[in-house]
Parts: sequence; C-alpha cells; structure tokens
Amino acid sequence: MDLSELEEDNTGRCRLSSPVPAVCLKEPCALGVDEAGRGPVLGPMVYAICYCPLSRLAELKALKVADSKTLSESERDRLFAKMEKDRDFVGWALDVLSPNLISTSMLGRVKYNLNSLSHDTAVGLVQHALDQGVNVTQVFVDTVGLPEKYQDRLQQRFPGIEVTVKAKADALYPVVSAASICAKVARDKAVKDWQFVEKLPDLDANYGSGYPNDPKTKAWLKKHVEPVFGFPQFVRFSWRTAQSILEKEAEGVIWEDSSAEDQEGLGRITSYFLSESPRRHTPHRYFQERGLESASTL
Amino acid sequence: MESSDEETTEKQRIHLRSATLCDAAPAIVHLLPCEVLVNGPAPVERFFTPAIRQRPSGLEVSFRGRILRGEEVAVPPGVAGYVMVMNEKAEVLAELERRHKRRGLEHEEEAQARSEPLERDFDRCIGATASFDHFHLWGLETIPGPDAKVRGALTWPNLAAAIHAQVPED
Repeated sequence: MDLSELEEDNTGRCRLSSPVPAVCLKEPCALGVDEAGRGPVLGPMVYAICYCPLSRLAELKALKVADSKTLSESERDRLFAKMEKDRDFVGWALDVLSPNLISTSMLGRVKYNLNSLSHDTAVGLVQHALDQGVNVTQVFVDTVGLPEKYQDRLQQRFPGIEVTVKAKADALYPVVSAASICAKVARDKAVKDWQFVEKLPDLDANYGSGYPNDPKTKAWLKKHVEPVFGFPQFVRFSWRTAQSILEKEAEGVIWEDSSAEDQEGLGRITSYFLSESPRRHTPHRYFQERGLESASTL
Repeated sequence: MESSDEETTEKQRIHLRSATLCDAAPAIVHLLPCEVLVNGPAPVERFFTPAIRQRPSGLEVSFRGRILRGEEVAVPPGVAGYVMVMNEKAEVLAELERRHKRRGLEHEEEAQARSEPLERDFDRCIGATASFDHFHLWGLETIPGPDAKVRGALTWPNLAAAIHAQVPED
C-alpha cells in the first residue's frame, strides 16, 4: 500500500483506491464499509470500502478474511497482499482522516462530531465507488452509533442499493472483513511511517497503542506537551485525554469566540440591587470597532 | 486599587532605546485570534511555521486543534512594525556595561544612558528586538478579510495625524 501522498501532506484527508476490476463494472457487487483507528488519541482514522461481485463472494471468503481485530498484524498484511493479488475481482478504496482534520472538525465553531464525520466519510466512499462505475447493489456497514438510524440515512442516500448496517458486520460479511483489513493495514502503516509536521528533535516513538487508556500513550502525551502549542498534530486535540493534559500542563488559551459570559462570569445577583458604580469611560465607537484602547501603562 | 496603580505609573518612566530601532532584524510575526495567557518565548519555528499550508483559499494552519485561516497584511505607510521588549533599567545598564567592556568602545548612546540624570534604577527601558513591514493575520476558521479590527486600527495613526495637524489659516 502506497501512502506517499499522505506522507507529503498529512494535515487533511487523503484518498487511495485500487484500480476497479473490469468485472465489477458489469456484475452486481457487494460493498463493505469499515473503519480503523476510531478510538485512539493518536494518529489518523481510516475508512475503507472493499467490493467484489456477488458471484465471487465465496472466493473472497475462501481467502479466510476475518474481522481485522482478530488477526495479527502479519496476518492482516498477508491477507491484504492476497487481495492485491486478486485484484481482477476485488477492489478497495480508503480515506485517511488525519488527526488534524479530526481535531479541527470536532473543535470547530460549528461542532462536527465524530459520528457525522464517520457517516459522511462512509457515504463519500460509497459514492466514490459508484462514480468509478462499480455496479454496487448491496452495501454492508459495521455499525457506528445506532444501526437503525444509520441504516435509514444510508438507505435514503442510496435508494437503489440494498443497505445493511449491523453491529459486528466485520465478522459477518466477508466484504466488510476485507474492508476492515484494508483500513487496519492503512492505519498501521500511516502510524508507523507518520511524518511529523513539527520539527521535533527528541521525538520518542514509543507511544504504545495510541489508545487513551494505554499507560504508554498517556506517558508519551505528558512528555510531548508544549506549553504554548500543546501537542504535535499527530495528537487528536479533541480527545478528552488530550484536553485534560493540556488543562493541567499547558498555558491557558482564550479564543475570540468563547462567549463574554464565559470569560467574565455572571455578575453577582446582588449587583442588580446596588447603585451602579461610576461607569468607566467608554471610548468612542470608532475605537471600539477597531479594538483600540488608550494605554496608561505598558 | 486603581489609584495606587496610577501612582506607580506616574513615578515610573519608560525610556525608548532608539538605537535598537535601527538595527532590529526583520522577523515574521503572527497575530492569532486568541489570547495565550503567558508571555515568553515559544517554539514558533518548530511547531507553527512548518504547519502552515498554502491552500487555494489562502493560508491555513491549526493551533491547539482549531483551524486558522490567514493572510498577509502589510504595515501601512507611515507606520513601522517593531517587536518591543521591556527591560528594567538596571538590567539594561548592566548589559551596556558588559558590551562596553567587551568592545572597549564608548557609544554616544551608552555614554548618554549613564550620564542621563533623569533615569533612575527603577525606570524601565523599552527596545526593539525585531522589525516587520508585514505580518500574518489569522482568523478562526475564516480569513479575517478587509473588515478585520487590526486593519481598522492601523488606519488610526494617519487619521490621528490628520486631525491633529495645524489647520492652515486662509
């Protein structure tokens, strides 16, 4: 799997896809969707689709693809290599969502939560397969959130396709297992070869699994806090683990969109009954609009 | 509370070390849409600068996991940009003394600084450490654009000069 495009710029999202097997353009296909790296506080999240003609699902199954979580890294690599060999009937595509994209989406003025980001990415990948001309007739998705709601949404979006959203779909349907292997292989490779945007001379690569409850990951986060900038972009700032470390170990930051109420705190209730203290002289609107104040001290 | 502040203000004088304005090296400065509650050095070159991307819509970077979009703003004619640092008078004198000894030279400014009777040990000195004729203005998620407060603020010095200028008598 060639992730060089990601290594060039890993601040946004990056899509990779296999060539579309000719048979998938003609014959009706099943398409599986799965993700890897949803939970970790470090590194990208990868969404993958894998598709194969209905008539050849048995062959895909014969590769002994299984839920990627039940496989070792070397088994996953081996299975992915096998799928690459079977490129005459198996196709895949994936979206790598950088930790920076995840942070900035979740911490935006308008919050874009991880579920919506996931759903939209999955929809984007299915659409991508359709745009490439893959004759998709069935879609299988491993659940994110409530399966019913997700299924309704996807079914509405793709009315001509039979959509199945199910918990543990990655263990039940070979196309989903195959997608989960693609996603996991890509996530592992992306993490292993991660090109840090920042210039960090004494970077410690021993960050453990990347899951928030891993003591190694926690220790790594604490070690790499920068008082002003927080963390390298490899870290998902929006994760609670990252936020609480920042609260304790980094300098405070007040954003211009944090409401005035938050900043000043509400006035005491008794303040409404007291006579007003002499008002401070407010400058002319001209100065207020330009953020200008007269300085009496430096 | 406030009045005691004012008292100290009245007593304290701030001296501009004008020589520093001439040899201040150009620097790249960034104006962020947030306040970082600390004053001090930060590894901008290691964390921030390498993360800036040129996108079709303009400059893009992220800070503390939030996206910033930015543009370059030129300092208008008639205004100069400096990064100023405040020192206690005593510190400055000591520094001048050291420099003087090292070079074995006596600059006019230094001689003046020591003989200046108006300066006292608790006075402070302000000097430029860098200069700039443009800066990066960053907005939270959107490019600040022509309505940015700082752009308006930069028009004030010229307006102030105009309204305070002598009106020619006709």
